[in-house]
Amino acid sequence: MLSNNFTKTAFLTRFSLRKNWLKLTIWAVAMAGLFTAIAAKFTSIYSNQAAIDSVMETLKSPAMTALFGKMPSGVSTSADIFAAEMTVFMAIMAVVMNYSIVIKNLRGEEETGITEIIRAHAVGKLSLLGATMIEAIILNLGIGLLYSLGLSVANLSGTDLNGNFLLGLGLGFAGLMFSSIAALMSQIVDNARSSTILSYLVFGIMYIARMTTDISDPKQTWWVPFGWVEKFSTYKNNDWTPVLLMIIFTIIAFALAFFINSKRDVNAGLIATRPGKKQASVFLNGTFSLFLKLHKTSIIVWTIGLLILGFTYGSIFSDIGDIIKTNPALEQMLGKSAIHSANVAIIKQFISMLMIIFAVLSLIPGIQTIHDLKTSENKGYLEMVHAKPVGRSKLYLNAITVATITTLLVLAATLYGLYLGGVYSMKDPLPLKTFAKAYAAYISPTLIMLGLTAAIIGTAPKLSILNYLYLTAALIIQYFGKLLKLPDWPEKLTPFGYIAQVPVKTADPETIIWQLAIAVILFGIGYIGYTRRDLK
Amino acid sequence: MTTPILHIEHLQKNFGKFQALKDVTFDVYPGEVFGFIGPNGAGKSTTIRTLLGILKASAGSATIFGQDVFKDAVSIHKRIAYVPGDVYLWPNLSGGEIIDLFLKLSGDKHSDKTDQLIKRFQLDPTKKARTYSKGNRQKVALIAAFSTEADFYIFDEPTSGLDPLNEEYFQKSVAELKKQGKAVLLSSHILSEVEKMCDRIGIIRDGQIVETGTLAEMRHLTRTVITFKTMDDTPELASLNGVHNVEDQPNGRQTFSVDTEQMPEVIDYLAQRQIVELQSTPPTLEDLFMRYYDTSEENIAEGK
Repeated sequence: MLSNNFTKTAFLTRFSLRKNWLKLTIWAVAMAGLFTAIAAKFTSIYSNQAAIDSVMETLKSPAMTALFGKMPSGVSTSADIFAAEMTVFMAIMAVVMNYSIVIKNLRGEEETGITEIIRAHAVGKLSLLGATMIEAIILNLGIGLLYSLGLSVANLSGTDLNGNFLLGLGLGFAGLMFSSIAALMSQIVDNARSSTILSYLVFGIMYIARMTTDISDPKQTWWVPFGWVEKFSTYKNNDWTPVLLMIIFTIIAFALAFFINSKRDVNAGLIATRPGKKQASVFLNGTFSLFLKLHKTSIIVWTIGLLILGFTYGSIFSDIGDIIKTNPALEQMLGKSAIHSANVAIIKQFISMLMIIFAVLSLIPGIQTIHDLKTSENKGYLEMVHAKPVGRSKLYLNAITVATITTLLVLAATLYGLYLGGVYSMKDPLPLKTFAKAYAAYISPTLIMLGLTAAIIGTAPKLSILNYLYLTAALIIQYFGKLLKLPDWPEKLTPFGYIAQVPVKTADPETIIWQLAIAVILFGIGYIGYTRRDLK
Repeated sequence: MTTPILHIEHLQKNFGKFQALKDVTFDVYPGEVFGFIGPNGAGKSTTIRTLLGILKASAGSATIFGQDVFKDAVSIHKRIAYVPGDVYLWPNLSGGEIIDLFLKLSGDKHSDKTDQLIKRFQLDPTKKARTYSKGNRQKVALIAAFSTEADFYIFDEPTSGLDPLNEEYFQKSVAELKKQGKAVLLSSHILSEVEKMCDRIGIIRDGQIVETGTLAEMRHLTRTVITFKTMDDTPELASLNGVHNVEDQPNGRQTFSVDTEQMPEVIDYLAQRQIVELQSTPPTLEDLFMRYYDTSEENIAEGK
């Protein structure tokens, strides 16, 4: 019986690898390349002890712990710094990769009806899930091995072979663990969208739990599966226990997924789709309200999710903005007000680093909304709308309006959450005005990013992947720029580089004006393209 | 003659180097059902999607209500209804919501007629679109189209997923439209349906309209199958002008097909051989069709 359930798994794995090879290769090369390049960069910038000691001070601060993960004590080499600072970020990238690939493979194929066709052949019930699992194993462990080799090539001082393999494969297994979460969520609900939302919900909870325990009590981080990547103690104790825990977690999650898969029907989940309304409500009366309705769930989930994320970051302001804690002597030297303003300066510095993360995160649902013009065109949802007296210009303007509202709303919610977190944690919280200023400065660059997305969807929808690549590049440049001691020019490649210091500095109006002008031009290019080109 | 609702002249559409439409010309008049038939990939849907302004024509012109299909799409679309061959609906909206949305987009409202149609086609409007079968998705589009107040209805293989009962409802609904003087463009593969419903027919092959006219007119263009028995032998039959596929049948009968215009000469020839039995079968649309579909290579070989 068991063997019957897995008939043709090997064949389907090969088939899936062949079908996805380009995507898998790009992910693997990009991830391993980034990892190795940063490792090599670390070798040159942290070559002497003075440089290491100075960056260590910064990295030990609660702000950096929140962003990059907990720095273990007794760090002394550039390899230690690399291991401590890169793991959380690379693990996040692995989560994104695994979620997108696994959910597409499982729910995506099921939605398009491919699963049904395949299952009609002499193929086992569980073979498709089995094939995806094997694909995930090959991909994640392959990338893990590339990491290990990359570390050996980059030749950081303070590495050892065991540590190289632990860090590389550990990250690989972490990715695999999240592939198992995505596989499990794909069994529970009956569509790709809900699976994605659910999977990210699991990850979001783990991320916030990891961040708070890292700051309050790092031992507690052991309870958080996402926190296990921080527990390798690479190049010091080289502890393989977290890897073992990940493997156990992965086995359990996949076993559950297989169990549910064997019980459920194709196109169904544990939770069935509820029936909808018999008639449309009065609000659903045009394309604008249609787009709002289609993206309602996404807007709500992102707004609430990022409000919570903002709040969590805000609630550590008191830890971050307390220089007395790290240096009690300062109280003697400086007056009370001087200390307060120093604390505020540190918090503002922290906010300026958070801003890029917040901006990138709030751009995701906005970009998705504009991309949806292309997706629903490809899927044929818009076919009948095009036959209605609804001009393309209206569709386009509706889509970019909903996208802009979404992004600006989500960003506002995040900053408001941040403010509330500050109020909750600090005796003398930062005024709302500070956050409003940061928000105002980030409007123009986010609009440029949305404008670029619109321009690409309007003129060359096939290149839509570039939008996410550019967004990721912007994140990496801003997020790691300081740590990698990058020169000034890469920062200037993205619109965020021109307002980076907000709210430490105020954005200058000229910058805002020319950025808005560029955004308008980009939206205009998209408009011209979309109203003239062939639709699918 | 009245002015046509749809007027297409030498329409062309290229996708890169590929010529999807080479030369499409036809008209559709008020109060008529125009059948648009042709093999897969011949350009039916491309033509329709160009008429809807989804694709931009490479050359030639197409107007609906006298307006350009691309430039004046919005104003044309106020008076048309369309059902695509593959209906895809937003998975997380219910059928009822989508029907109402489509109606509102056309400036119409959910009416008693909508409810009647929902009942007639037996659709459960509360179900989310992701749970609908192909046939049910088609019903959603058909209900929305039939309850839209339009002057021109375009159906692109609308019944491919419907059961026979619903197919009949569809035919009934189209007949009602015709009675009201509306124009209908119906692309279909179901020839019995086209034969039953359509006043005029256009056949498209390889991006070209190869034939337009009423079924009766078209019959003249094609061959009649004749089964006969004569006292004397008919050795010359196969070599006569316009005679094809001569075959022996049991009981001494023979069959052949004959071009309509050569019929008198052939019948004369047979009469001289003392006819015992004679039966002629007029070409069905299917025969017509096959002539353009199946035998395209043979025709080319014969220089037709």
